[in-house]
Amino acid sequence: MATKISIKELDSQFAKIRGLDLVIGKIVEAGEEWSEPVGPTPYPDITALRSWDQRLLARYPPFYSPLSDFCEFCTYGKCDLTAGKQGACGIDMATHQGKWSLLTCVMGAAAHATHAHHIVEYLIKKYGEDHPIDVGSEIGVEAPLIRLIAGIKPKKLGDLKEVLTYLDNQVTQLTSATATGQEQAPVDYESKALHAGMLDNLALEVADIAQISALGLPKGNSDTPLVEIGMGAIDKSKPVVLCIGHNVAPGSEVINYLEDKGVYGSVEVAGICCTAHDLTRYSKNAKIVGPISRQLMFVRSGIADILIIDQECVRADVVDEARSVGTRIIATSDQVCAGLPDLTEKTPDEIVKALLTDTPAVLVRNPVKVGEVAARAAIEAAPQRKSEKGLKDEQVLANTSRCSLCRECTENCPINLDIGYAVNAAKKSNLEPLQKIFLECIGCGRCDEACPQSIPVLSTINAAASAKIREEKFTIRVGRGPIRDTEIRNVGRPIVMGEIPGVIAFAGCSNYPGGNEDLAKMADEFAKRRYIIVASGCAASDLARYRDENGQTLYEKYPGDFDAGCIVNTGSCVSNAHPIGAVIKIASIFAKRNLRGNFEEISDYILNRIGAVAIVWGSQHQKAMAIATGANRLGIPVILGPQGVKHRRAYLGRSEDDEKWSVLNARDGKKVYGGPAPEHLLYVAETIEETMVMAARLVMRPNDTAKGRMIKLSNYINLHKQLYGTMPDDVQRFVRAETDIPITMKEDVIPVLEERGWKPIEIPDPTLLDRMVLRRE
Amino acid sequence: MSAKISSYETAEIRGPKLAFNLTPENCGRMLKRSKRLLVVVGGDALKMKIDDGVDVPEVAVRLARSLGGTIVASPGVFKAFQGVSAVKLINMGLEDAVNRLKDESWKGFDGMGGYDMAVFIGGLYYFQSMMLSTLKHFAPNQKTISLDRFYHPNATFSLENLTPDKWKAGLDAMLQLLEEKK
Repeated sequence: MATKISIKELDSQFAKIRGLDLVIGKIVEAGEEWSEPVGPTPYPDITALRSWDQRLLARYPPFYSPLSDFCEFCTYGKCDLTAGKQGACGIDMATHQGKWSLLTCVMGAAAHATHAHHIVEYLIKKYGEDHPIDVGSEIGVEAPLIRLIAGIKPKKLGDLKEVLTYLDNQVTQLTSATATGQEQAPVDYESKALHAGMLDNLALEVADIAQISALGLPKGNSDTPLVEIGMGAIDKSKPVVLCIGHNVAPGSEVINYLEDKGVYGSVEVAGICCTAHDLTRYSKNAKIVGPISRQLMFVRSGIADILIIDQECVRADVVDEARSVGTRIIATSDQVCAGLPDLTEKTPDEIVKALLTDTPAVLVRNPVKVGEVAARAAIEAAPQRKSEKGLKDEQVLANTSRCSLCRECTENCPINLDIGYAVNAAKKSNLEPLQKIFLECIGCGRCDEACPQSIPVLSTINAAASAKIREEKFTIRVGRGPIRDTEIRNVGRPIVMGEIPGVIAFAGCSNYPGGNEDLAKMADEFAKRRYIIVASGCAASDLARYRDENGQTLYEKYPGDFDAGCIVNTGSCVSNAHPIGAVIKIASIFAKRNLRGNFEEISDYILNRIGAVAIVWGSQHQKAMAIATGANRLGIPVILGPQGVKHRRAYLGRSEDDEKWSVLNARDGKKVYGGPAPEHLLYVAETIEETMVMAARLVMRPNDTAKGRMIKLSNYINLHKQLYGTMPDDVQRFVRAETDIPITMKEDVIPVLEERGWKPIEIPDPTLLDRMVLRRE
Repeated sequence: MSAKISSYETAEIRGPKLAFNLTPENCGRMLKRSKRLLVVVGGDALKMKIDDGVDVPEVAVRLARSLGGTIVASPGVFKAFQGVSAVKLINMGLEDAVNRLKDESWKGFDGMGGYDMAVFIGGLYYFQSMMLSTLKHFAPNQKTISLDRFYHPNATFSLENLTPDKWKAGLDAMLQLLEEKK
């Protein structure tokens, strides 16, 4: 960070100075000037946005669902905090839950910040600090989150280092607040959690714009190629290198090595989780096995000759699992050393030899070396794998003879699948129930641990579904990265006016209550209704693993533009920065609002004007909660699927609390009713029906024009009737004037409004910030 | 000899305050004393008819009618209540409903005051468990009964883990008891 002192003209007895820019902490170079004025909060510290957070939390107070009745954070404990009791340190349950909320978001932010560190350091080492930030020729606002939060306009990789330093400092401070004897009010824990979420979003952008710029990943083009995804897409006749995690550096070096040697076509490079997305962004010949739910399943298949693990979303048992099927493992990250011997300083020859003989699992913290070692070892190991391994379905299924139908597996399944019944049916040669379980299974393997008869339940599910696994082959459009400024110019106005009914972002993990199809069906329905659909990470992978009634995947069916009725895959987990960035860019490009260090104003703009909502149907990781919480601070509501309830916290509004839905009318400074739009900031839905109707409701904003509100209401009422069979109970809260009512629905809606005593209200120029009022009457 | 009551999900182990385990008949007796009843029907209700042979919406309607209660149904199952009359019916997500229920100043769906008893039935086990946890911790005066087939430690009162047949028979017996009152 730097402090800049500008002196236009000084004439004193000591000196005459004209046009001096003095910067302490960093040299300002020619061309780095940025005419946009600095807003009030560049590099905000942990309390700089507290008043904004308090505004949000007053309207959307935290709703806690404790997962445990105890606090176990210090040696006074365990302390029972049930029903109003305080612990030995004085903490109560609400405060304890606030602390969990902050911890969860800090874990997520720290994981993404560390990832950003690793990729930026690797790229600077390889390409130099002066390598330009270039995310596409049609992208002028290259880093909306960095501009907004840090208040800088990064031009080269080296500029990202100061953002990383800021992230380190803030994450440390937030972590400190969770220690016993520090923060003590839920509202401040939540403010800090919102700060952690914001930092998380910032880290995502740092990581992705760095890798887009230096590794040549797609730069916002809509027509990226379709590539293969699915366990059945992997050609096991070739040597297979499998990468699991989020950092593309080692996997990309495998591809570099293979290309240099001219043998890339004869080796399969595939990935699971977000590193898979980034591998396909790096090379269209790479393949995606699937999301995290496929990790244990695929590793157990033994198809991988070499498993590279980097960081984040790596199962804690993956080394043992891979070893048990003869797969060699290379851990590559400081974050996941996995108890393995560090061979980083050895030569590639020595490491390959070790891997193939007496040390089948090693740590190598040098991506370039990993590239060579993994490629060579896979080529050498593959013939051995082909002759020795392979699924033996009958042997696996024979284990079901031991099933006593105790249903321990069922009672341990995180999503309550009746595995016991299915295993017992398989014992009687009926594999159909297990095949159905396979389609919904999240692949965690808890059933294995639960079985008192030591039946390898997950492998049994796989064996029963082996034909389905072989057929599991779909297409996914390669992650395109950012949204182009030209696209924002096209859709900015219709989004803000409400004429495009909304932007719906699908994000998160694959911890679904009943398989990935629900996710894809939701995206399909909203795309048909001409919402803009954006997806990232495991959610983007899972949208691909579905075919509609015509046999098309969603990426084959819909164009990849950021436009109504399209589905965009931005890429990996760090590419979640781009849907959020697109929303910020609407405020910047369409509404001409300054971004630079201007967080409150932009968030206020988004909350009141931009109909964006995220659906995180399978939230599992702390990172998902951190991303969601960061979006919340920017005024973007998020709906979690039912497993998300275990994150323990939501931010809920109450539609009937009319006072809380007042906004300032910027035109005259009067406080007016803006309606419950959006009603919640973070909501956990139980079913797909609830999620869809809630999404159609949460895209409404006080600023919608009559035409826009008509379109949004039309979708809301239509979905409500289709899925619930009735007119919404709260329709009167969203109709501000008769012109808001969809023309074809007037006959239905007007009598309801009359019955409910509806009165028209003014459509305000809405803001929550006093300083945004233009004129006072 | 004492029977071990455990939650349905193995790891759902709570603290010192656990739900009292009641038989369906005892639930009926307990419910008879309720003056303001809310029946909360969760999003798994329709699946239970297929899996366990229990028509949860029908159980909820009979229960609410017999005691003059209100039903709040999770949106995903609301359609199953279409055509139901003579009972107050609210379509609302469980999190939204519990957010109101935990507020002592809330006047209920009819504006007549809070509910002295909230019956939960038909929820996704893990989701319902968390909603009951919210009420247990933040609305300690709100009495809750879980009528699901599985023991819910976070409720005030809960059925134990039952087989589908026993659950169905127990609910029938409970409803008969309540309907006799009329």
